[in-house]
Amino acid sequence: MPNLTLKQRLYQRYWRLISRYLDKRQPAADKVTLVQKLIFILPTRYGWWFVLLIALLYLLGTNYQNNLILLLCYLLLSMFLVSIVLVYQNMSGLTLQCRHAAEGFAGTKTAVAVNLSRDKQHFMLSMHFVQPYNTRHKDTEQNETVLLSQPATTASLDLCGAKRGKYALPRIKITSQYPFGLWRAWSYVALVQYHWVYPSPDTDKPAVNFSSDAASQQAKTDAGETLAPYRAGDSVRHMVWKRLARDPANPVVRQQHFLAQAEPSWVVVPALSGDALERALRYACQQLLQLEQSGSSYGLKLPALTLPQAKGPQHLQRCLQELALC
Amino acid sequence: MLTQQMLQQKKLLLCWAVIQFSLLLLLQQAFAGWVIAIFALLLLYRLLSVFQAKAPVSLKLVNLLAGIIAITFFLQLRQAGVLHFMLQILLLAATARLLALRHLYEARQLVWVHYFLIACCFILHQDMLIALLIFLVFAANLYSHYRLFSPSVHQVNWPQTGRSLLIILPLWLVMFLLFPRLPPFWQIPNANIASTGLSDTLDPGSIEQLVQDDSLAFRVEFDGALPPRQQLYWRARLYEDFDGRRWQVTTLRQNANRQRAANDAAASKDSSLSYRIIAEASQQTGLFALATPVTSSSNVFISPGGLLSSSKPVSQRLSYQVSGSLIPVMLVSEQEQLLNLRTAPGNPQTRQFAYQLKQQYPQNHALVQALAEHFRQQAFYYSLTPPPLGSNSIDAFLFDSRTGFCSHYASASAVILRHAGIAARVVGGYQGGNWHPQQGYLAVRQREAHAWVEYLDNGVWQPFDPTAAVAPERILNSLDSALPEDQRALLDPGWRQLALLQNVRQQLMHLDYYWSVWVLGFNENSQQQLWRNLYRHLPAIAYAVAALFSIIIVVLLYYRLTRSSTDNTPEATKQLYRYLGKVLASKPPSLSVSAFLLQYASHYPAHNVCLKQLIALYELALYKEDVVALKQLKQYLQCHKAELGRLRRAIKNT
Repeated sequence: MPNLTLKQRLYQRYWRLISRYLDKRQPAADKVTLVQKLIFILPTRYGWWFVLLIALLYLLGTNYQNNLILLLCYLLLSMFLVSIVLVYQNMSGLTLQCRHAAEGFAGTKTAVAVNLSRDKQHFMLSMHFVQPYNTRHKDTEQNETVLLSQPATTASLDLCGAKRGKYALPRIKITSQYPFGLWRAWSYVALVQYHWVYPSPDTDKPAVNFSSDAASQQAKTDAGETLAPYRAGDSVRHMVWKRLARDPANPVVRQQHFLAQAEPSWVVVPALSGDALERALRYACQQLLQLEQSGSSYGLKLPALTLPQAKGPQHLQRCLQELALC
Repeated sequence: MLTQQMLQQKKLLLCWAVIQFSLLLLLQQAFAGWVIAIFALLLLYRLLSVFQAKAPVSLKLVNLLAGIIAITFFLQLRQAGVLHFMLQILLLAATARLLALRHLYEARQLVWVHYFLIACCFILHQDMLIALLIFLVFAANLYSHYRLFSPSVHQVNWPQTGRSLLIILPLWLVMFLLFPRLPPFWQIPNANIASTGLSDTLDPGSIEQLVQDDSLAFRVEFDGALPPRQQLYWRARLYEDFDGRRWQVTTLRQNANRQRAANDAAASKDSSLSYRIIAEASQQTGLFALATPVTSSSNVFISPGGLLSSSKPVSQRLSYQVSGSLIPVMLVSEQEQLLNLRTAPGNPQTRQFAYQLKQQYPQNHALVQALAEHFRQQAFYYSLTPPPLGSNSIDAFLFDSRTGFCSHYASASAVILRHAGIAARVVGGYQGGNWHPQQGYLAVRQREAHAWVEYLDNGVWQPFDPTAAVAPERILNSLDSALPEDQRALLDPGWRQLALLQNVRQQLMHLDYYWSVWVLGFNENSQQQLWRNLYRHLPAIAYAVAALFSIIIVVLLYYRLTRSSTDNTPEATKQLYRYLGKVLASKPPSLSVSAFLLQYASHYPAHNVCLKQLIALYELALYKEDVVALKQLKQYLQCHKAELGRLRRAIKNT
């Protein structure tokens, strides 16, 4: 496990606890309306300062035996209490729905469109996806918070996908401090929807002319083979034993370029595992995108599955989904 | 950035600048002139920069400036007092923040400090009108607070605000009435502001100045009937040291004021008269009472001379209860008698006059009567503008000018009595007052300030008012009636003479009275009383609340039921019935609305076009459920209201 700060680790622990509780309280649903059961309200830091102000005014009013200061103190106190209701009213009744599955490539941010109801006016809502597990990967930072200051019908939230796969949409945290910033109302909403993370396209290698820049650094063997450092999952059969004997710390394998053998309209992923598989998948993804762009029909051959040749965005989506699941 | 947009809004910055200006005005009592000038300059600069849309001043510069100003404030700490220093520093912090405002959190801090400063204004001001003003400033601050947490382009949602107010107001009042009240936790610094009212010295001219001040000194509520006006001598000061020209409160008395009068005799004395006094802030410890006070509420105490004082200067309205009697004050000690026999050198004529009187009237009482007779018989004048007197002021007054105000008469009488060997002293206080029968209180203003004499007779300090001999109207009526026409103008400059304004002022004073009784005077006792009353009427209150709730529920149910029952009739039909209800009332059930109206269309050709159009729209709206047609129908009905009225009358007449 990569090094996490204590705070991050504690937060992970906390989030695990909280989500167990939340799963019982609000299991993922197709359409979620914020009701009393789902909204949590606690004072903000400014709210605590406000409490201090009220206490100070009470002291001042009592010490000076000044009824007007007490009057002002109680006015602030009643305002403070009523703003609990106001902050609740601003949140309650908001309905969230995510109609389409989110899709994106690993390591990039995906915009997820969340539909909001507009039967009532809601102000100053800030929303983001909660993904505390993302901290495991150092390169991905927290999801950015979107602030909707005016009533809106859709919100576009960023979502990070680090590893390819099919995930359930993480919980959305909605918070609001409107109208006085004294209380924060928040809710964690889970929606039944998927989040596809496709392998990121391998932009390092051009699809057809792969060898031009790679060859300059690495010793090139004949018949479209290059040497590359060994990574977990590479077949032992490709190991260059001579070099291993010379330099046991840096094993080197012969690398095959699959496109060279495959027909142009078939994208083939060989049976591999570990990093080698990932590399192959990223490469396949790049090929799929290029083929779709060029307008020709193409098929996908996976070790366990073959998709017949076709074209169009739906076919591309299907192929990418298979890559993500591979 | 959202925050930047928000803080660049001119409106918000102006709002804060205006709040700080009004705070400066409200707190100006607490600040010296140069302090006000500094704040005004800073705020003016900020206003200018807002109008010219300049960037805020850099934080370093503002910190430097604020540091220097704070240090100068600190150097003046002893002069200003701790409370004023605190207020200065708070306002300085707010102003400096406003000058260098860049971030949203800074604006939030600013709003917080404003709340605190607004509350501090109440230490200095408790008048109803100024309190209203302060609450207005509070509302402005609340608005800016709201703007900090709401979208940058946003209208206030008035219905929602109204609904929240409906909840906040009762909650607020209940808290104020029922939340436990505690005694002060610790001694707090007081404002040092120039005191008002009678001072510790009595010059020949000091009362003349005081009576030109029309402000309120105190108000009195009597538990029983109002005593006769001649007996309303509110004692406030005893002047016992005379230096030939001016009277002073003796230092012995000033120290003795700290001690409380022995309470042993209190039980034996009768306390037939009970009243409550609401004193205005005077920044003095001296308070007011009639003749001999016997017991008082715990916030004030009775000192040996029969005077009331509070333990610390009265910096805000103070309400206290006194019971006592109208019999004169007793002699406290031998020392007091000796003190009041001392005479000052000078004034030979007066001395001569006193000896003559003493030889003629050996009895104290008779001598005083003769003195009063002297003032009455000889040509003495009562005037607000007496001529200046020479070094032997008493001689000059008694034998030369013979024109003076109450302090002249009191001072001269006391000197004569002392020379005649009778212990006498000058008493400063107020005489009379303005009785408001409907509101049931006596308003005593500074213009009722008065001075009279007390002389010792058989161990009792008998009051003697020489003014009553010279100008009896002053005592029986008011100061106005005792003065000639031209001097009355001195008391009522300009606008005060207008009857309407006078009336408004009067009403405001009454309102202010209720304000001070119900709001300012609300204390632990009233709260306990309220709790007791609540407890006693608990069943009644419970029934009332239950009844109210059930009525609300019934009304709601009724509303719900009627709504659901009428909901079956379509909107278009409802609209038609609203305008043509009387016509349609005679419709037989077998006919449809449109068929019925069609009949009228053929019967009344004048309204043919109108009715046909109406029917067409109605059918579209009803059968096609066309929303646009429904809207048009509404508009059409609205526009042709007059024509439909004519049709109605025509049908009725046939």
